[in-house]
Amino acid sequence: MILSKALKRAALSTALALAFASAAGAVDYHQAPMLDEKVADGTLPPVAERLPENPYVETMVDSIGDYGGTLRTTILANGDHYNLTRTVANELLVRWDPAWEKIEPSLAEEVTVSEDATTYTIKLRKGLKWSDGEPFTVDDIMFWYEDVFMNESLTPSKSSSFVAGGEPVKVTKIDDDTVEFKFAVPYGLFLQQLAYGQGHQPVIFPKHYLKQFHEKYNAEGIPALLDENPAANDWVSLFNSKVSLTFQPAYWQNVDLPTMNPWILTVPYADGERVAVTRNPYYWKVDPDGNQLPYIDNVTWAKVDDPQLMVLKMTSGEFDFAFRHINNATFRSVLYDGQESGNYHFIDVQDLPANDAVLLLNLNTDDPVKHEIFNNKDFRIALSHAIDRQDIIDLIYVGQGRPAQVAVQPSHELYNETQATQYTEYDPDLANEMLDQIMPEKDGEGFRLGPDGNRFTINFMVSDVFGLSYPDVMQMVQEYAADVGLDIQIRTTDRARLNTMWSANEQDAYIWNCVGGLSEVYTDVRCYMPFQHADIFFATKWSDWYSDHAKGEEPPENVKELMAAYDKVNEAVSDEDRKARMEEFLELSANAFLNIGIVSPEPKYMMVSNDLKNVYDGIPINGILWHPAPTLSQWYFDDGE
Amino acid sequence: MLTFLAKRLLYAVPTLFAVSIIAFIIIQLPPGDYLTTLMADWASQGGAVEAGTVAAMRERYGLDQPIYIQYYKWIWGILTRGDFGMSFEYGKPVSDLIWSRLGFSFLLAFLTLIFSWVIAVPIGILSAVRQYSIADYAATFIAFVFLALPNFVLALALMYAMSSWFGQSVGGLFSPAYIDAPWSCAKLWDFAKHVWLPVFAIGTGSLAALVRIMRANLLDELRKPYVTTARAKGVSEFQLLMRYPVRIALNPLISALGWILPAAVSTEILVSVVMSLPTTGPLLLRSLLAQDMYLAGSLILLISVLTIIGTLVSDILLAIADPRIRLQ
Repeated sequence: MILSKALKRAALSTALALAFASAAGAVDYHQAPMLDEKVADGTLPPVAERLPENPYVETMVDSIGDYGGTLRTTILANGDHYNLTRTVANELLVRWDPAWEKIEPSLAEEVTVSEDATTYTIKLRKGLKWSDGEPFTVDDIMFWYEDVFMNESLTPSKSSSFVAGGEPVKVTKIDDDTVEFKFAVPYGLFLQQLAYGQGHQPVIFPKHYLKQFHEKYNAEGIPALLDENPAANDWVSLFNSKVSLTFQPAYWQNVDLPTMNPWILTVPYADGERVAVTRNPYYWKVDPDGNQLPYIDNVTWAKVDDPQLMVLKMTSGEFDFAFRHINNATFRSVLYDGQESGNYHFIDVQDLPANDAVLLLNLNTDDPVKHEIFNNKDFRIALSHAIDRQDIIDLIYVGQGRPAQVAVQPSHELYNETQATQYTEYDPDLANEMLDQIMPEKDGEGFRLGPDGNRFTINFMVSDVFGLSYPDVMQMVQEYAADVGLDIQIRTTDRARLNTMWSANEQDAYIWNCVGGLSEVYTDVRCYMPFQHADIFFATKWSDWYSDHAKGEEPPENVKELMAAYDKVNEAVSDEDRKARMEEFLELSANAFLNIGIVSPEPKYMMVSNDLKNVYDGIPINGILWHPAPTLSQWYFDDGE
Repeated sequence: MLTFLAKRLLYAVPTLFAVSIIAFIIIQLPPGDYLTTLMADWASQGGAVEAGTVAAMRERYGLDQPIYIQYYKWIWGILTRGDFGMSFEYGKPVSDLIWSRLGFSFLLAFLTLIFSWVIAVPIGILSAVRQYSIADYAATFIAFVFLALPNFVLALALMYAMSSWFGQSVGGLFSPAYIDAPWSCAKLWDFAKHVWLPVFAIGTGSLAALVRIMRANLLDELRKPYVTTARAKGVSEFQLLMRYPVRIALNPLISALGWILPAAVSTEILVSVVMSLPTTGPLLLRSLLAQDMYLAGSLILLISVLTIIGTLVSDILLAIADPRIRLQ
């Protein structure tokens, strides 16, 4: 009994411990030639001293690479700082492997999970250094925890990744290299959360640099700093202008901020024509031969106001790599034809959400008639059968995609065929039959009357976002609905207005895309049940209730079951157990059938130079999985010489 | 002249005041505010937005206050400290953002003006002097083609042609190698290689109008008795043309000069966006989209100031060019 328990614990702790055969014994480390001079004249210590005792050994996609070169890429001129983040800034305590299948220690050397999934002990690599050469230690994590995360002024409400059972995490320093994250209730999904982009929080706050801007450490010095900085009027805004919790522009505007990223900022994200970064001489990853990463010296982003210009510059060979904004159906043929002149080729990107176009009826609408009808599952099924999905795919998405409901993708272990395909066949007769049960009366124009005797009209808010042609899709949906006697009115609007509307729960219905197509479904179930407030709103009052039972409105039994099932997923410790509970949850979600999916996407693509090697083909990317940053440090230019 | 100037400047004060209020109201009209944009941005990164954070930020940015207090704070900062407020999106003072772009905007406007005048004035004269000739029809036809062609489409087509047939790097005003380099002869040459594209794309749009104005006015003048008299007295045809009729026919063009200043800031947004020029146009467009209200408000206010200065300048220029005009 005792033995089996010990074995189990050992299994859990070793599951995440990295095998580091290469670190045993003296390893010869090498550095990029651009650093040789600085080491020779003493401005930089030798490479072995810059690296941690046990550097992270990156697994190469193709082969060992060569040093040098500048990677040229692009961002939209404004509001696209996220693209910088997901290209070069995703160094975390633990990471997903490039295939998004398992979690590995990264900045951490070893992670031990307690049996009840409440306590996570994280041991850092010894000798990690910030990009300015200062040591990165547990004190930096404690600075984040005590002085940023738990500080009411800097963090007025806590990110849900670090909250379980309504209680924020408790972080304790064990020794200089070890830190413990403890939750009030079992939280088996914590490591997954920590491995996603939002998990960056504990590791982006260099204490030695930031404490000068913090009231606790430098109360006397702050007035002088405020005078120098016209952008800040108190210490909180001063602090926030130096580093940003969520990689908002402030993060990319501060060239002095030390980082753990492979490259450090040289030309900030300001109002110029480009952004640039150069190699971090203290980066803590090496290749299997002991060459310090990254291979590529510099990365530059041309700031371009218009995606068409991006396409033009890509096809004329001005970029080595690009995908955001231009990897959609509109530009595909031009980019395909430009491969030779632009010296690039396409690689697959597994950017696979649960659905690209979802009809979200507001199940918590204040209108009593609509409330009654929308909450009738048969009504939603009838509407679903009324839509000719293949026709929409052929006409609008040039044949790209499959008719589907909101569901996990077939390539994923959680795929459930029933969930993906239920009610997707185009069957207007069946739809009519079902609707006749619900709203048999029609008016002179053939539209159905609601229980109150008035024509039943759904006002659909439609915003033209993500390049997914929602206004066109809705026009087709409108016609199909009219065929079965349903009156859909299209209200085109911009995203900002829609945002205000759904925050106030004023919309009847809208169309949007849905995350949760691959592994992110474990942590982000916003399309499968009423969940946190982000951009999916079909039952705001129920999701309010879920996060705090004192708020919102108590949902019906089947939705409460759904929520309880998800709580169980959160508590699961082992992977098998978690998967089983997730399957149960998805089954319940499919039964509840809360929203109507139309099209499931095909893989997207990215353009990379023919000279670039070690690029992972088929890399998964989505809103929370900030790829390709984690593999970019091993990209290299092979000029074929 | 001085009293005229003083009076004009005095009248400008209430005008600017009114404009600043209207600008502020217009920017606030669309639903939501900068934080709505920010929330959408967070959501797309997979971050759920906690209500507490948004409320705290709204308070920090002063967005929870009534609009007249926000306006008062903004205008008071401008009047007392020359502080145009903060751009939410860039986290920087608005004044830092505007001035660098304004330089390129003016330069571009100035070059475009020269370009279109240098072409339009001679063609206008030619069309008037040789009315209904083949040259007249040809010039008019070409000018109208450019007028009919939206200049952002022209910009796209030109960029495509330059990039795919001549292999030139397009977009922006410099090649990547020169963007951050200090000014030098090589950088100037690089600038010249880039700047003609937007100048051509923007300038051709106004060609037709300028040619028609020049032509019509000159035709009017040419039929006046003083021309006949001068011709009878044996003045050479070229001298005759240049001395008075052309000078007078230029009047409407000069009075339009005043609009160049505001136009430099606000027009040709499409061309600037399409070509990624570092001018104020894209900045204004983006600030309006993101509801970055102090930035947008300041740009609109700036455009109004420039309009007032511009009309003043054109009035003065007119008085110099045409002795018949007096400012009293």
